[in-house]
Amino acid sequence: MVVLWGIIKHYLQRKFMKKIVIQGAIIIIVFFGTWISLTEVDWIKVFEVQKTVNKTEQKLGELFLETFEKTENKNILIVNAIDTIVTHICTENKIDREKIKIHVLNKDEINAFAMPNGHLIVYSGLILSSDIQEELTGVICHEIAHIELNHVMKKLVKEIGLTVLISMATGNDAAEIIKETVKMLSSSAFDRSLEKEADIKAVDYLIRAKVNPEPFANFLYKLSLEDDAKTEYLKWVSNHPASKERAEYIIEHSKNKLIKYEPILSIETWNKLKIELTE
Amino acid sequence: MIKIKNFSYAPGEHEAEAASNSYLMSLIAIIVGLPLPIVNLIATLIFYLGNRKSTYFVRWHCTQALLAQLSMLFINSYTFWWTISIIFKGEPITSNYIAFLIVVIIFNLTEFITTIYTAIQTRKGIHVEWWFYGALSNIICKENS
Repeated sequence: MVVLWGIIKHYLQRKFMKKIVIQGAIIIIVFFGTWISLTEVDWIKVFEVQKTVNKTEQKLGELFLETFEKTENKNILIVNAIDTIVTHICTENKIDREKIKIHVLNKDEINAFAMPNGHLIVYSGLILSSDIQEELTGVICHEIAHIELNHVMKKLVKEIGLTVLISMATGNDAAEIIKETVKMLSSSAFDRSLEKEADIKAVDYLIRAKVNPEPFANFLYKLSLEDDAKTEYLKWVSNHPASKERAEYIIEHSKNKLIKYEPILSIETWNKLKIELTE
Repeated sequence: MIKIKNFSYAPGEHEAEAASNSYLMSLIAIIVGLPLPIVNLIATLIFYLGNRKSTYFVRWHCTQALLAQLSMLFINSYTFWWTISIIFKGEPITSNYIAFLIVVIIFNLTEFITTIYTAIQTRKGIHVEWWFYGALSNIICKENS
């Protein structure tokens, strides 16, 4: 009798446990089932998330650009020459040309950087320090890669937070924050992994555009070896870490590509561009 | 989902109040602790520990409230850190995230409403057993312990 009661009790306990396991499993299935079903809906479209993100980015780009208005070089020859390089790179790499907005600034520092909404800033110091146009093209490709890979917004969100960015874009008075953010964008590099990703992408862009990537690597070497007096102007190299290492993997990634490289600008245009900038 | 059952004995006024408070504790903590999901669990846990030597009815309901909070902690924590990575680490807002958020809100709302209902019923001395959590509480909480 005792044994029988034991068996019945054991059976009931097992049945009870089974019931709990089934109930728990049903809750989990309902949770994940609802989630999976809801993922079928394009919520980004429903809530117009992308539209809001684009608007924020557009507004931020305009705000940041305002800080450079006074130093922007609007010389037609200079603007056209840089525009020709960017258009060629975009066409050969199927990048929407309208997305990249190039701005040349009259500044002695050797620098170039990307800003929200596809604004690409190139300092005159960078153009003048480039011995050949492929060096400049390499840097431009690197910055286009940052834009295409959405590194700019990623960096901004990481450094100053989404809420501050939205607050800036919605018109809250934040002149000091805008100034500091622009300073951060122009004088600090992205994460090492993002920089490498942009370098590799830049090499791909150059190869597809039939521009030799080797001078881009050499440019990094060259600037890292410049004398100390010039260091304060070498923003683009000093804020991008391990230039030698970068030059090495750029060479490594671009070797064994049997392509006949051609310059984008004619020698005359390139020389004229430099003369215009020195005047 | 919710079943009103006969308890092994009729709880007294003081017991009903204490048992009802275990649910109220998690509700108050939700309001105070938002958006940190751990706060409601800690509040319920403290209440549970404080009543572990109380009567069977009180202990049983403290256990049910704690178990419900514990499972909500997992999904709420996951949502919390996912949201943090979007705000501070630049992770993109995806349809997956929004879908997950909707499910989490539905589950939290269901739990919230159920908790209010159970708190009211328990205050009247009525024994309410939740789907899954009630059965689990029956295993964990024994009358003679």
